[in-house]
Amino acid sequence: MPQEELRDTGELVARARAGDGAAWARLVERYSGLLWAIARSHGLSDADCGDVVQTCWLRLVERLDQILEPAAVGGWLATTARRECRRTAQRRNRELPGDVPEPAAVPAADQVVVARERLCRVGSALQDLPRRCQLLLRMFAQAPTHAELAAALEMPLGSVGPTRARCLAHLHRRLAR
Amino acid sequence: MNEQELVRQIRAAFQAIDPVPEGVLAAGRSALSWRVPGAGLAELAGEQDAPARPGVRGGRERTLTFTGPDVTVELEVADEAVTGRLTPPSPARLRVRDAVRGEVVTSADESGRFLLPGAAEGLVSLVFELPDASSVVTSWIRL
Repeated sequence: MPQEELRDTGELVARARAGDGAAWARLVERYSGLLWAIARSHGLSDADCGDVVQTCWLRLVERLDQILEPAAVGGWLATTARRECRRTAQRRNRELPGDVPEPAAVPAADQVVVARERLCRVGSALQDLPRRCQLLLRMFAQAPTHAELAAALEMPLGSVGPTRARCLAHLHRRLAR
Repeated sequence: MNEQELVRQIRAAFQAIDPVPEGVLAAGRSALSWRVPGAGLAELAGEQDAPARPGVRGGRERTLTFTGPDVTVELEVADEAVTGRLTPPSPARLRVRDAVRGEVVTSADESGRFLLPGAAEGLVSLVFELPDASSVVTSWIRL
């Protein structure tokens, strides 16, 4: 995937810059899932997650003419999402001082019960993985490159591959039970 | 199960539990319409909480400073109103863009001062159209 996917992202950015709304829509469809997952990983509500994703797209629009590496836009979006999540969390803390719940990678158990019947075996096995693996696999499944995953998880580029392999092996073991 | 199939199922599982709402995707798609080609970008350079004013209920104020290539925009955000100043001083046509409620047009006076109409809150970006036909846009912020 990566090389072709990257070139494709770069092309979409170049076309969006030239005013092509369809190319822009493709970018939004390609990366919004990753941005949403990043926002969830910070424990944000639906409304705040929506705000973060929208803000990321507005930030990209405002500097569309200045992007030096159009193919690296996915990593830039992921970094921007993390920054906006921290800002949102800080604002919430100012407004509502008190305990901040531990963020969940997948929704809380009671929500999951509702969805469980729709979940395949893979979905159930995911629930049993450590949170970091859930997050990584969720983001990886959005088809990002290693560079994008590194930005999304704030992880050194070199440890993305091994961590991903470890989490996949973990999931395979759960499925084999 | 090969890796590709496994990844497809991981994606399907999260899509079933926690999909990106369609409204969020729609907002992302429409973001491109806020583009102002050729405008200079003034980015948020600083944000300060002003000291609480004694005796004023609620009275929390923030000062936001945006800096661009040739200009500075300062915004004073108080509970009752949002005012601001463009430096160097210049009159300007001012488009106040609200990501949810759309656009309202007002103006900055000869000294570059302006008042945002209504109780601005939410994601907002300002576009200043200057007498020399150039434009300055402030990066989006949450008021």
